[in-house]
Amino acid sequence: MGSDASQRPPNDMVNFGLLNSATASTLAPRLGKLAIAGRNAILTPHYIPLTSRGTVPHIAHDVMREQTAISGLYFGLEDFIEKLQKKGCPPVYKTPAAPNESPLRNFVCLPEDPVLVLGPRRVPPLACPASNTPNSIAVLTTVGFAQLETGQYVEAVQKMRPDIAVGLADLVLTHRPGTKRQGKMVDRTHAFTTYSTEQLYGDAVSEENRSKTAYFAPILPLDNAQQTLYLEDLEDELRRYISGLALYESASLSVVPESLGDLPRLLFSEPATPHDILREVSLGADLLTIPFLGDTSDAGMALDFVFPPPSDAPATEPKPLAIDLWAPTFTTDTAPLQEACQCYTCRNHHRAYIHHLLSAKEMLAWSLLHLHNLHTMDSFFAKIRESIEQGTFESDVQRFQRTYAPQLPEKTGEGPRVRGYQAPSRGPNEPRRNPRAYGRLDIIEKFAESQSSVATPDTGAEGLEEHGFAKKLSS
Amino acid sequence: MSTSAPATSAPRKPMPSALKFDLHTKCSTTKARASTLHLPHGSVPLPIFMPVATQASLKGLTYDQLKQTGCMLCLNNTYHLGLKPGQAVLDEVGGAHKLQGWDRNILTDSGGFQMVSLLKLATVTEDGVRFLSPHDGTPMLLTPEHSISLQNSIGSDIIMQLDDVIATTSPDHARIEEAMERSVRWLDRCIDAHKYPERQNLFCIIQGGLDLELRRKCCAEMVARDTPGIAIGGLSGGEAKEEFCKVVDTCTGLLPDQKPRYVMGVGYPEDLIVGVALGADMFDCVWPTRTARFGNAVVPSGTLNLRNHTFAQDFRPVQEGCTCTICRPKDQGGLGVTRAYLHHIAAKETVGAHLLTIHNVHYLLSLMGAARQAILEDRFPAFLREFFSKLYGEKSKYPEWVVGALRGVGVDLMED
Repeated sequence: MGSDASQRPPNDMVNFGLLNSATASTLAPRLGKLAIAGRNAILTPHYIPLTSRGTVPHIAHDVMREQTAISGLYFGLEDFIEKLQKKGCPPVYKTPAAPNESPLRNFVCLPEDPVLVLGPRRVPPLACPASNTPNSIAVLTTVGFAQLETGQYVEAVQKMRPDIAVGLADLVLTHRPGTKRQGKMVDRTHAFTTYSTEQLYGDAVSEENRSKTAYFAPILPLDNAQQTLYLEDLEDELRRYISGLALYESASLSVVPESLGDLPRLLFSEPATPHDILREVSLGADLLTIPFLGDTSDAGMALDFVFPPPSDAPATEPKPLAIDLWAPTFTTDTAPLQEACQCYTCRNHHRAYIHHLLSAKEMLAWSLLHLHNLHTMDSFFAKIRESIEQGTFESDVQRFQRTYAPQLPEKTGEGPRVRGYQAPSRGPNEPRRNPRAYGRLDIIEKFAESQSSVATPDTGAEGLEEHGFAKKLSS
Repeated sequence: MSTSAPATSAPRKPMPSALKFDLHTKCSTTKARASTLHLPHGSVPLPIFMPVATQASLKGLTYDQLKQTGCMLCLNNTYHLGLKPGQAVLDEVGGAHKLQGWDRNILTDSGGFQMVSLLKLATVTEDGVRFLSPHDGTPMLLTPEHSISLQNSIGSDIIMQLDDVIATTSPDHARIEEAMERSVRWLDRCIDAHKYPERQNLFCIIQGGLDLELRRKCCAEMVARDTPGIAIGGLSGGEAKEEFCKVVDTCTGLLPDQKPRYVMGVGYPEDLIVGVALGADMFDCVWPTRTARFGNAVVPSGTLNLRNHTFAQDFRPVQEGCTCTICRPKDQGGLGVTRAYLHHIAAKETVGAHLLTIHNVHYLLSLMGAARQAILEDRFPAFLREFFSKLYGEKSKYPEWVVGALRGVGVDLMED
């Protein structure tokens, strides 16, 4: 092997083509098409919805199939490997699959079309108390913290056969790493990438055993100068093994060397608003992950923006980016979540119902909200691509910034139950995330209520009378 | 207020009906019936199981998912909708169908059951249910008129009278008799208060505890009031199954053929099947949907607790051959969901609850569909044998109450 090796990745299953002329320049919005044999082609810029334990939260598989346009999904390996440390191997490795099938896809019971992206950790990852080591990274499984070794990750990719694997990176989640630690991050990530690609695609691996999975090499959230050696290696020795880049902050978009410019860039930058997304797209991001999408649904909010903004009329006040369905103003509002929205929720239901479901703590609230929010994001990206194509992106972005509030609204209502693998522990004696639902077991009635799952009135006598439920006795 | 026993001959408001009941056939051996109930929001094949969408939502399922299970009629709870979103909102939105986007049928209970079983110091008087507001201790009164007014606002296709519910296991015979007689008087008040008999069907509720004589008396009184349908209430309260069967058997024996019969709060598969054999048509229970949320799948051999580690590497569908969306393989348009995957997400992700709820509701609906088909083809006794053999395996494991109840209607499960 060497620099004279074929520039074509060994993986001819994956093809990424840039569609607009602005692509030569790194820091410009770009249009592309990611085509993987047997899967949906993904037009970029686009976003990859996140999963939790193999599901899009609150969206059952049939609803996903029939009511969403999901073309790719991101999975964190840590959601599947609680048994890694114990005797036996994770059940996902044992999933029956034909040679051309993905055991990961079969395990999570998904159809053939969506592109499956596997990374070592959930997005966003929770900080682990243990540090990464020279040959492993710290992960959080449902049964606790563990170290995921490079070899184990390579094995997972080989066994699960996702379409795309995001390479291991030595990332520091808790603080800005010092200079010395930054040096280590580069050295370790460099070593992880070299080792993993060699194991998956190297010359020592026989032709039939070479992984069909496309490898997205991490670019560290550091300056160009600090990772020069690693980047040079990616451009040269490792170039033929890698099919894309994984970036952890939008600043990294300017770090990507010219010669890697034709690779798709998958961003894990945790944008907080659609404004952030537009900025990242304007800097040349191709695929994004958007944690705020799920957070918004869990908070009982429906995204309420369109791109480009509806009219030029300067609003006196910036429009909110989302509406909070917990607000009592929606109690009898039979309008759809968003005017003219064609999502399943807006076609079939109204604000009053979502408000009712939230206050009744019914699971369907989050399903319907997430369907709407996914659809809003689909339209957002479709319009972004259209705008880039028409050359109006820059001015559309400016208008968007003028039209909409800079932040999403503050969360007011309670979300669904939060599991340990979804939220970080903030150390001992941390306060409750949700108020106690049960626990007043000294009162027999309350105990019966908690056992029966039947609610008792959440209101006083006035409320009961007002609701027509009963009347006060004058005596 | 009147405390005299109701007179069957008293002139009363005529009772229009907003349903049509087609009795197709009766089993030639047992008392089972196959029929179709035509309601304002579509026709319902009987016998039927009705899933419970307590707060205007069936536990995470979209109404399209619920339709795909074959459901034509589901329950809402008056008590819950009365509190959230409340009567004013229901009136403004235009009723529960419009609130939840469900264009098939809804049945609501009266709300009295929750009041009596859950609220502190609830006492029943002739006026209604007196209770203390749980927030501020104010004395309150829930009357039959309140219940009907709320159900009129909900707009459900079948509404239930407010009845005087007491536990069937109560030792106080005088109180049981009083409750039965009061339920009859309250039915008259419900009939008077009912504003929309032409589009909502009021069902009476037979009370009388486990005393068959009281049940007979109650049947006579209620039948005389000619409501569009008839419910058998006060069961599913922890009474012995033998007693349950006797009550259902006695009541169905006295009820007119041409009206649907609803046994309230019953939902285990074996209870439904025995209930059908005893001549009941409609059942409801939260159990199949609740147990789904705990990670349990209902299958012909009982229930599978999918959280158990033995399912971690079980890549079979929940139930081989099941035609629900979850179990059907991908190449037949289903999702091909495996036990291993449900083990992975059960009780962790809401999707786990959604998927199992779909399976469980579909299971009970298709079980009732199979029973109906067997009745239509007059092979219901064979269906009974097959069902109980799959459920319990050896005959020695068959519960005595099942064997006894079915013997009473001419089927001996112990015979080959």
